[in-house]
This record gives sequence, C-alpha cells and structure tokens, in this order.
Amino acid sequence: MRRDVFQAIADPTRREIIKLVARRHVNINEVADNFKISRPAISKHIRILTECGLIVVRQQGRERFCESNPHKLNEVSDWVEQYRKIWTTKLDALGDYLKKIQSGPKSKNKIKKNGKRKK
Amino acid sequence: MEKEKNEPFIIERTYDAPLKKVWKAITDKDEMKHWYFSLPEFRAEVGFEFRFVGGPSPEKQYLHICVVTEVIPEKKLTYSWRYDGYEGNSFVTFELFAVGNKTRVVLTHRGLETFPAGNPDFAKGNFSVGWTHIIGTALKEFSEKK
Repeated sequence: MRRDVFQAIADPTRREIIKLVARRHVNINEVADNFKISRPAISKHIRILTECGLIVVRQQGRERFCESNPHKLNEVSDWVEQYRKIWTTKLDALGDYLKKIQSGPKSKNKIKKNGKRKK
Repeated sequence: MEKEKNEPFIIERTYDAPLKKVWKAITDKDEMKHWYFSLPEFRAEVGFEFRFVGGPSPEKQYLHICVVTEVIPEKKLTYSWRYDGYEGNSFVTFELFAVGNKTRVVLTHRGLETFPAGNPDFAKGNFSVGWTHIIGTALKEFSEKK
C-alpha cells in the first residue's frame, strides 16, 4: 500500500504527533508518553509518518529522536495554494474593474454637457 | 475523540466602491465578464445553474458546474462549485459588508477537501479527512520553523 501525505494526516493521532514534533525534536519515548494508546500503536503511526516523509527519526547515541520534515507538508499546502492563486487573481481583477467603473461615471458627473457643475 | 474542524479557505478584500456596485459586479453577467468568467447568463437566484471552463493553467482546464444555493441581496451569495467528471463538491460564498463608502468582501471556499488532489496515487477517501485541519494548525508551526 502506497503512503501519501494526505493519508498520513487523515488520522488524528498522527496529526497530534506531527504537531508535537513540529516545534522541536522529540525523543520517541516522549512522543509515546503524550498518548494513551499503546507504544506499538504509536510506533506504527511513527512508521507511517516516516514512510511518507513527514517525519525523520534520527539516532543520537542511545536515544532516537523524531523531527519534522516541513517540506513534505508542502504537498498539502500546494493543493490549497492553487485556490489561493485563483481567488487572489479574481479578487484583484474585481478591484481593478471596480476602480475603472468608479472613475468612469464620476468624471462624467462633475461637468454636465453645458459645462456647468451639477446643482 | 477529537472533534474535526474543517477550516475553510477564506480571503478578504476591501474595495473603494459602494456596496451596491460591488454586489452588481459579482451578480451581473455583463460585469462579471470583466473580472471573473464569461457566462451566457447569471441570475442570483437559488437553484440557478451556470457552467464555465477555467483552471489554474492553460493545460489544466476544467468544466466547472455551479448552482446558486443562497442569496441575501447585497449581503451574501453562495454557489456550489464542482468539476465535471470529478468527485467532490465545494461551496463558494461572497459576503459583503459596508465599511463607510467602502465595501469589504469576504470570500469563503468550503469543501475543498472533498476533491481528489488530482494525483492518482492519493488514496481515495483518505484525502477528505484532516488536511484542512492541519493547514490551520501544524502547517503554521511548520512554516514558522522554516
């Protein structure tokens, strides 16, 4: 079964693990201490997160530390980014359009055909 | 059990134009074509369906199918937004607020998580859960770390 980022973050425990290690490198035992579920279950979640590249486990002496790999989450943010692009472009265009129609009628109103100002 | 909170996509702008003008610009097809999409017809009426072709890039063009679901004149306009031939459905809402002579527009796009990510490798069904959640929380923390 192929692992991907979207599948990895579909599980609330895995999301919690990601948040935990996003801030700092965390010892694997410490990760497990944060959850009520069994250690093997946590190990499995960490393995899934590792397989899809969201976290990296490094050996430091006798301890193993989890650290996050932020670039991998870009797959998720890129997905949203395309919508940000669409709407940013459209709303900018709306702004330009409104500016255009605002300046149009205004200049017409200032001076009437006979050159006198409106009363 | 953690409560799922799907954070929709939100973008805001304030325009130097009166609310009536902004409402007309987002609901009148003759004005919409100048900034949005060219539609043969548009009516701000619940149940009105419109379609257009568009996409993020010239090679990625999709037929959009939209149905108006909510209208509060000069305040709020919502329509569904989906892609022909793809699963999923989302909702786009324009909300207008008068700020003196200016108008604040809040655009909300809900339900993006119902779309497949456009990558056949992504497991179906898994896509819909959690990514919006993570964007609102962990992603911020990730990006602050960069």
